[in-house]
Amino acid sequence: MSTSTPTRPASQWELVLRRFRSHRVAMFCLYVLIAIYIASMFAPYIAPYPRDQISLDRSYVTPFQTSKIGTFHVLGTDHLGRDFFTRLIYAARVSLTTALTVVTISTIIGVVIGLVAGYFGSWVDNLVTRFIEFISTFPTFTLLLIAGSIVLQSEQAIPIPDILTKLFSFLMAINEREARQVVMIVAIFVLLGWTGVARFVRGMVLSIREQLYVESSRALGGSHLHNMFTHVLPNAMPPIIVSYTLGLSGTLVAESGLSFLGFGIQDPTPSWGNMLAFANSYMFNYPWMPLVPTLPILVCSLAINYVGDGLRDALDPRVQTEIRREQRDALLAAIRERSKS
Amino acid sequence: MATFLIRRLIQMVIVLLASAIVSYALLYLAPGGPTAGLRQIQQGGRNTITAEDIARIKARFELDLYLPYRFTRWLAGFPSGPVTIGGQTFLADTAVGCAIPGQVRLRYPDGTSEIIEEGCEQYVTFADLTDRRTSRGIIFGDFGSSQVILRDRPVSVLIESRLPYTLQLMGAALVISILIGVPLGIYSAVRQYSRFDYVMTTVSFVGSSLPTFVIGIISILIFAIAAKEAGLPYLPPGSAVALSDYTVPLIGTVEAESTLDRLLHFIMPCGVLVFVNIAGYSRFIRSGMLEVLRLDYVRTARSKGLRERTVVLKHALRNAILPFITLLAGVLVELFGGAAITEAIFNWPGLGRLLVDSIERSDYTVAMSLTMVSIFLLLIGYLITDILYSVLDPRIRLS
Repeated sequence: MSTSTPTRPASQWELVLRRFRSHRVAMFCLYVLIAIYIASMFAPYIAPYPRDQISLDRSYVTPFQTSKIGTFHVLGTDHLGRDFFTRLIYAARVSLTTALTVVTISTIIGVVIGLVAGYFGSWVDNLVTRFIEFISTFPTFTLLLIAGSIVLQSEQAIPIPDILTKLFSFLMAINEREARQVVMIVAIFVLLGWTGVARFVRGMVLSIREQLYVESSRALGGSHLHNMFTHVLPNAMPPIIVSYTLGLSGTLVAESGLSFLGFGIQDPTPSWGNMLAFANSYMFNYPWMPLVPTLPILVCSLAINYVGDGLRDALDPRVQTEIRREQRDALLAAIRERSKS
Repeated sequence: MATFLIRRLIQMVIVLLASAIVSYALLYLAPGGPTAGLRQIQQGGRNTITAEDIARIKARFELDLYLPYRFTRWLAGFPSGPVTIGGQTFLADTAVGCAIPGQVRLRYPDGTSEIIEEGCEQYVTFADLTDRRTSRGIIFGDFGSSQVILRDRPVSVLIESRLPYTLQLMGAALVISILIGVPLGIYSAVRQYSRFDYVMTTVSFVGSSLPTFVIGIISILIFAIAAKEAGLPYLPPGSAVALSDYTVPLIGTVEAESTLDRLLHFIMPCGVLVFVNIAGYSRFIRSGMLEVLRLDYVRTARSKGLRERTVVLKHALRNAILPFITLLAGVLVELFGGAAITEAIFNWPGLGRLLVDSIERSDYTVAMSLTMVSIFLLLIGYLITDILYSVLDPRIRLS
């Protein structure tokens, strides 16, 4: 490194990144998530068997066992003899991509609407808040169930742009008929999901737009668009990022819950939720069975939440991670001392 | 206060009406219902189902009426027949629905043909409505009759049979988790960074990030299946009562439908809900307490020489618990609506499962009734928390 360049003070995002990197659990969880997602992207190459291959000769094979016809199954097979490991990888692609698209789209919609409502105030704000309040009186879960059942029973009736189904069938390695279903499930989640983001973004923007720097930018003749996106939005970013990660795990859990009850993604398309629903009905004869799809749900939702927690600490300097770490180290040292004696 | 209440009540009525319209429209879009599957029956058996049969079934569930009339009849039991003013009846012949739709056979050039419904062969008029047995309308507390699950029986009967189970489960879970979660939150805030605090925050972090169905399934695997195989006392894995007597090690024979039997069935679903609730509540109380304990007035209280106990429980807790009240706004809904997923896992015959069943089997009168009642309860919950808040926190004035 050349010594002639003056040392530039670290930017805010560099600081955040540094703080996040020092959060060891969160980093580990991030690596795990990335690994799972990349593995699922290469599903056709990693998976040892075709996804939907049914064979009654090898149904109910226990994990790490060989079936009657001599095939080996790391995580066993289900009631139709489909290999669990194969399906879990494909399901990771479906479940994680669903969660990612849902949260990304609904965050973008929520941020834009919340930003506009909070920035302009007056009747725009009034309209948006009333609308959000109205939507949130509906029991979300009931709406999800109803919408899910409508969508699943009248699949062909709802027109979906061809490009969307093609995109999803490419993203999730599923055929286009299955993709239609997934697109609709995603749409339902987005429709119900943006309100939360919009509400809290609006709240933050209300206070940020009163700040002096926004006012001075306005005085300097900055356009509304410029003010919103260069002054207001970046300052509202940290909570948005945290809510994005927490939204990921929320959607993941909600989608698997919906599929678990039979209203989400339907059987030949694997999703952790619907795999669990099937495994659950065989739990008395094969207790290991529900554990297999449970594991990824458990790992992913925990990992995402830990990443979110790490991000929250990294983004919010008020949480004194330093103090916390010192305390933890002191505690560990004390325990080590005691175990020595 | 009075003006606030009046304004809020008017708002509530408007919101309720609007959400009734929206959810009714949504369910109207949904396929299925009592006429679904009739064609399959027709193909299978010797009895052919005629257009009149379908019309009769539709009439029984009011499916032959046009949507606006159907909605108002469902909402308020109106119109219930032709209008009579001074002995004269009006509108008796005006059509309000279509009993038998006209059928047109379309022949395509390639030789195939298709029958589509077009126009109407026989209309339903206001005069026909007089003889119909109607519900008095949901706003008068008449939910109508179930279409599929308990065909022709009033929805209220169905709800009444499930409500005790849900109330029992949700009520007990709520009380226990507040009794445990609040003290845990306080204690771990007071002893911040202690070992107890670390364990507590980690457990509640894990607890609140795991979905209920995962916790439920794992607890069935441990406490019902593994415990039974190991010869330890085990818990029944599902439903609310046993069908026949069974023997549990160390406890002995448990009579079906006895109090002990009910208790054993109750422990696991309740435990799962309590665990999840505690995780949420204790985190909430902990962060609230931490914020308050930093404030000047707490320091003042300490420097006055008050006992720590008094400072924490009397001075700090009163402010820290305020936001907790907003969390409880949803309690009424929860008590009524139950926990659909937990109930599904443990086969608990509560209202949450009824909702799932009713949507799954397209029994839309039941689903609508449950939805409307929960929206109503949610609005009441909001109102109560607003009032409670202003009573407990003098800084807030309702206007």
